Amino acid sequence: MAGSRLETVGSVFSRTRNLMRAGVLKEKPLWYDVYKAFPPLREPVFQKPNLRYGKAKATIQDIFYHEDRIRAKFFSAYGSGPKAFDLFNPNFKSTCERFVEKYIELQNLGETNEEKLFVETGKALLAEGIILRRIGEARAVTIRHQAAAEGNQPQKDDAWEQQEAREEPQGACSGL
Amino acid sequence: MAPARTALPRLLCAGVRSARRWPGFLRKATPGPAGPSGRMLTGAPNPARSEPQDDHDLQRKILDLPLKHSDFFNVKELFSVKSLFEARVHLGHKAGCRHRFMEPYIFGSRLDQDIIDLEQTASHLQLALNFTAHVAYRKGIILFVSRNRQFMHLIENTAQNCGEYAHTRYFKGGLLTNAQLLFGPEVRLPDLIIFLHTLNNVFEPHVAVRDAAKMNIPTVGIVDTNCNPCLITYPIPGNDDSPPAVHLYCRLFCTTINRAKEKRRQMEILYQLPSVKRAEDSGTAN
Repeated sequence: MAGSRLETVGSVFSRTRNLMRAGVLKEKPLWYDVYKAFPPLREPVFQKPNLRYGKAKATIQDIFYHEDRIRAKFFSAYGSGPKAFDLFNPNFKSTCERFVEKYIELQNLGETNEEKLFVETGKALLAEGIILRRIGEARAVTIRHQAAAEGNQPQKDDAWEQQEAREEPQGACSGL
Repeated sequence: MAPARTALPRLLCAGVRSARRWPGFLRKATPGPAGPSGRMLTGAPNPARSEPQDDHDLQRKILDLPLKHSDFFNVKELFSVKSLFEARVHLGHKAGCRHRFMEPYIFGSRLDQDIIDLEQTASHLQLALNFTAHVAYRKGIILFVSRNRQFMHLIENTAQNCGEYAHTRYFKGGLLTNAQLLFGPEVRLPDLIIFLHTLNNVFEPHVAVRDAAKMNIPTVGIVDTNCNPCLITYPIPGNDDSPPAVHLYCRLFCTTINRAKEKRRQMEILYQLPSVKRAEDSGTAN
């Protein structure tokens, strides 16, 4: 049976069609009619994969949402939040997600000042029962405040502090 | 048949073992005597010479009719963009791994991770499933190829469920290009090769992609953002690493192939081909 092994020349279909037209290939292959009736969106021709050089960049857009600004502020202030992310649940709402929803709600009510909105959202979430602990220098304030309020907590807070300090770089790497 | 052989120690030249498996696979449903052309004939002799024209016309009708419909096997109903999304088909690799030729299929990149455009995937998938169904309808041999060890077993089982073939082990050099030497003088090569993973374990294109193009065998392949879709006849841009995605593809291919074979059986009964008539007379089940 005749065939053409030149995979770099044309597509499988074009080679088979030309061989049949020339009379070299006697039997029509099984898939020929099917390909003819339903051709692919792009003809499967070989293309040499050349690398891009210099300043040429791919034309792929970044995907960003408006909520990403709010998320960025939340993560820089509070880290990943008190609740762990449950990825098994498709309808899971993380602390950040609730924060963003509350923020947008308050924004639609008419507020414009970003810092004020941020603080208001934090207060609203506190009212719902979610305690947001700030990371960084503001932590000392919360711990002292908590120690004064609860008395026996400082040891636990130190352990939590160390854990948060360890978790911070990990959180930055995951990037989500 | 196959599971027993796969259980044999792969330490003994795995490549040769997998190559030897093919002649066993070629003896499919009815193990009749091998004709001079190497194809497996059914137990029944050839149809009587007295009515060659009718037979020929019927065959042509059976084969031509499905090509007139745009979606004869209704493969569109098997999936939707939502089901693709839930199976995480849209997740690609990081932007650094991106292959240049996959750029048209990528929707965008979210924090450096490429997201595949599921609208395009849906149309490509529909074309690919339709092609697979038509090839299976025409009694073509379909070969599933993958070199991803995580889904090796699943793919072999899928192939077994549809009554087709799979090759998920080390792909020996001239398996397609030098088949006459490796298998025997009269071998029937696959009519369609389905790649569930286009890359091999060192992230290079699988040899079978180039070899299938050389042997003029059409291919259907799942191409991830780090794969080269050029030589694949019907590429399907999609995730090939997540288990839900691969399970979805296996289910889709299995369903389409079984559907197509069932349709073929129905069409043959409808048009009452002589070979089917004789099978009915001899008492075998429809």
